[in-house]
Amino acid sequence: MTADGVYVYAVIRARRRLPTGVGGVGSPAAPLRTIEQGRVAAVVSEAPPKLRARRRDLLAHQDLLLRLSDQGPVLPMRFGTVAPDEETVRGQLTAGEADHLAALEHLSDGVEVNIKAFPAQNALRSLLADDRKLRRLRDEALRRPGYEANLRLGEAVAAALESRAAEAGRGLLSELTPRARAVASGPEVQGCVLNMSFLVDRGDSDDFRSAAEQFAETHSERVELRLAGPLPCYSFVSAEGTRVRTVGA
Amino acid sequence: MPTTTYSDEVVACPPRAGTLYDVLELILDRGMVIDVFARVSLVGIEILKVDVRIVVASVDTYLRFAEACNRLDLEHDSGSTTVPELFSGKAAKSIGKRKVREAAESVGDTVRKAVGGRDDDADEPDEDEEEQQERPRKRRAPARGGTSRRRPVEA
Repeated sequence: MTADGVYVYAVIRARRRLPTGVGGVGSPAAPLRTIEQGRVAAVVSEAPPKLRARRRDLLAHQDLLLRLSDQGPVLPMRFGTVAPDEETVRGQLTAGEADHLAALEHLSDGVEVNIKAFPAQNALRSLLADDRKLRRLRDEALRRPGYEANLRLGEAVAAALESRAAEAGRGLLSELTPRARAVASGPEVQGCVLNMSFLVDRGDSDDFRSAAEQFAETHSERVELRLAGPLPCYSFVSAEGTRVRTVGA
Repeated sequence: MPTTTYSDEVVACPPRAGTLYDVLELILDRGMVIDVFARVSLVGIEILKVDVRIVVASVDTYLRFAEACNRLDLEHDSGSTTVPELFSGKAAKSIGKRKVREAAESVGDTVRKAVGGRDDDADEPDEDEEEQQERPRKRRAPARGGTSRRRPVEA
């Protein structure tokens, strides 16, 4: 073991083979291995010295987790998790074996789909057509042009675009939630009116995405969606910091 | 052939998995946390999260929206042509073009004064700075295809 510790990528079931052709964080990419303990295993590599959230390392972390989750259930660790040594990892796996197994069971065949909603940018015409207050502000800005009037108008437009997008986001949420096994709100992202992750069955993820895309098309004058997934279940492995809502069951 | 297999899978995946940017906050702020494991310091990572495409509530954004709205309004009032027709281009070249143009110039003036910009020749608000700077010269000697189309309107 080096002094820099053990970088932990994920917890998986024991006796799974690691994907080939994938490396870990660091440059050159650290070789991957597993630490098995009972019925679970941690996927690890040596932690590189001075690890930071570099693009290369983030990609390595993400790529490995994508590959692992393609092959079976995986509990992804948050980026940058480093254990002091292998003994600590073994101790944790032993202590947490039952919980890990339960979580792996819960997530089996599940994938995360993340949807971010942003205000539609090219909808000024429909916005003005719909909103009398905005038309009045605009008329004022034209009658008595000036910095103040333009600022008032622009601010109102920005607020209206955001509120229309947020409303559409709520519609999207209620439309997609019944299709998901669980829903978790994501961290706040600047400019984003909705950041939501859905736990869906792997087999349903195409249909789920289509439904979201359909919604985006129908509401393109209100909201712009960015979809990511199927992803490893980042948002469904930890109660900490997330509000996970199990759907249906 | 590990490498080939890998890139094949990656090609099939990432358009779906999203770009790194789209999932950055999940990689950094979600995922399992275990107390006995430490986490590296991610000081400065916020920089990565800034996305220029996103509307940020700021004076600049507001003025940009106002400008776009004022322009829209003008197109709206510029005669019998409907807005979609104006935007589709064909009608805009003939019907009501002069009126639109004049109005657009006055708004351009206003906006530029409002934001403390240069006081030089008025221009359509949507033209970029480079074009604005070239404008006076072009007026005297219209040469490029793009601007000559507008000549008769100004004359």
